[in-house]
Amino acid sequence: MSSLIRFFTSVKVAITLLIILTLASILGTLIPQGRSHEEYLLHYGQLANLLEKLQLTKLYQSFWYLTLLFLFGLNLTICTLLRLPPKIKRLLQPRVDFKPPDLEALRFHHSLSLNLSLDSADQALREILKSRHYRWGEKKTETELTINARKRMAGIFGSDIVHLAILLILFGGIISGLLSFRTDLALHEGEVAEVAWAGFSVRLNSFETEYYPNGQVKDWKSSLTVVENGREIVSKIVEVNHPLNHKNFMFYQSAYGWDWDKAEVELLLRSAEAEAGEKRVKVKTGEKIKVDDETEIQLHRFLPDFVLDENKQPFSRSNEPNNPAALVEITKNGEKAFSGWLFARFPEFSQLHPGKGSSLSAELKNYSASQYSVIHVSRDPGTRFIWAGCILIMLGLALAFYWLPREIRFYLRSEGGRTALTAGGIATKNRESFAKEMETIIALLRKKK
Amino acid sequence: MKEATLFPLAFLLYILAAFFYFASHFSRREKLAKSGSAVALVGFLVHNLALILRTIETGHAPFTNMYESLSFFAWSTVLAMVIAERVFRFYRLSAYLMLIVIALMALASSPLMPKEAMPLVPALQSYWLWLHVSVTLLGEAFFAIAFVASILYLLALRKEKAGEKISNSLNPEKLDSLSYRAVAIGFPLFTLGGLVFGMVWANVAWGRYWSWDPKEVWSLITWFVFALYLHTRIVMGWKGRRSAWIAILGFLAALFTYFGVNYLLSGLHSYA
Repeated sequence: MSSLIRFFTSVKVAITLLIILTLASILGTLIPQGRSHEEYLLHYGQLANLLEKLQLTKLYQSFWYLTLLFLFGLNLTICTLLRLPPKIKRLLQPRVDFKPPDLEALRFHHSLSLNLSLDSADQALREILKSRHYRWGEKKTETELTINARKRMAGIFGSDIVHLAILLILFGGIISGLLSFRTDLALHEGEVAEVAWAGFSVRLNSFETEYYPNGQVKDWKSSLTVVENGREIVSKIVEVNHPLNHKNFMFYQSAYGWDWDKAEVELLLRSAEAEAGEKRVKVKTGEKIKVDDETEIQLHRFLPDFVLDENKQPFSRSNEPNNPAALVEITKNGEKAFSGWLFARFPEFSQLHPGKGSSLSAELKNYSASQYSVIHVSRDPGTRFIWAGCILIMLGLALAFYWLPREIRFYLRSEGGRTALTAGGIATKNRESFAKEMETIIALLRKKK
Repeated sequence: MKEATLFPLAFLLYILAAFFYFASHFSRREKLAKSGSAVALVGFLVHNLALILRTIETGHAPFTNMYESLSFFAWSTVLAMVIAERVFRFYRLSAYLMLIVIALMALASSPLMPKEAMPLVPALQSYWLWLHVSVTLLGEAFFAIAFVASILYLLALRKEKAGEKISNSLNPEKLDSLSYRAVAIGFPLFTLGGLVFGMVWANVAWGRYWSWDPKEVWSLITWFVFALYLHTRIVMGWKGRRSAWIAILGFLAALFTYFGVNYLLSGLHSYA
């Protein structure tokens, strides 16, 4: 048991854990994370199964990575707890039981003889220390005086505060992992959706995409209203970077899309027979409509971003209408007059393949589908610990690096009207400036008459 | 005046400053280093103006594509150098830092980097863009100082071993301490800008503070390396050679976070 404790109190173990965590984290950035089994097979071949078995494809959520983080947290906790009591003791009980040899053993030390009585030397020293914002404890006898002067002692706890902050952040991560709730709502304009576990609903009043003059997307805006028991509670335009917060549920603009499988298209029909001329018709996916007594049109499929896969099968590369295409069948008097893909961007393409023996041609003039906005909903009780950790970590770093504790120990001894003084200083960081500080104090003492 | 004319002017001034700094080394005349410092400062002011004009021209923060980002990183490095020169009263690092700045400026000027300003994508329209990027890059600029100090430290050690006389400006102990002091500035800045502001912004923009995106992981790795630097130094008393190597690795990790992730790994941060 004690060897186990010793294991976790060792700084070497902490450093080893840090190195292993670093290497593991690097590994996770070299292997793409969270992809499908097929993608790994394609990329790594036979190796894919091994990678998945070792959880290297979900590395940061893997049992072994989380175990490493847990051990790291445990080590951090124990190391910090063990370091605290001596520090608290140092803070609360400044040492005043030292002799000149102890002080001369310190890195920074001075010895001098002052032309002052012990009492006046004491007073002079206190004045100097006070003007330089030191606080001190002292022990005095007839002929001897020891003073322990210190300032900025909070600095000794800087690293402990950083460690505590890291533990808080790790704890926040655990809470997020176990208790956070997330879902995506795909809402059409006017649609109301109940938010699971929240006891209220949200309504999408309107959704719009704003564009820059060059056609690039400027912003997506969803006007959302929170509805609770039939009452409208709060409304907000939710955009990227501007979520809505209601009762710790956050609503983010996350994505958008079109119901292309329910698209409606407008076709322009042309007939070489003069009396028929041009005709515009609207037709929905899956629908069959009569254009006139002899002609019928059916829209089989609509793809917003038409491409062919390796087997020459059409599919949509994305949800963006980059290459809209409609699979249309036209029959005349019950006979197939045209059947094929029409492309909005390439109207001449279908004319190259007209229906056999037909004088009919068609163009895809317009297309539309209802748009929806995807709102990401999250309730993450871990965040409060994360933010507390963030504030603490900065406070701790500021203390550790810039609130440098200074401790100077003085031993004074009355020697026939004069006073012999030995001073020793303790500083772990920025020693150059501390050395100067001590020299200044000694110089000020020498000047006192 | 336009950014497109001021940027090359700043670049030229940096080259001139580097020339002075190196001339000072080889002639061992401190005065030349001070001239270099003055020229670098003028270059820095011109660069300031260039960044301000860029901000006015584009209407957004001057670090939203790789050209702007490189220019801003160079600017941060000069800022860190100007601060370091005044705090540490030490000019020997500046010549080598100027080489890094010149490399960044040259890369930014290269035809590989498209210079035209694009309007901001929705995810970047936030004041967190200013805070997150500027503080992080300033932190990384101080890591660059630690990097240069550590390399010079290793070189000085090698010279010492070879029995050569070492000039005062290459005192190993001083270089080791400078490296630490640069990390002591860079580490809190990097923590604040990269990790804290990054998490806050990610939570606002993406709805989660941490997504294990490669850029996030690499900034964590960079942070781990400097945490190692501090702990091995303070707790285990590793000074000198081993410490210098960790600082070098740390800066390389920071550089990879900044640069390599964008080109070699894909993820949420692929804006530039």
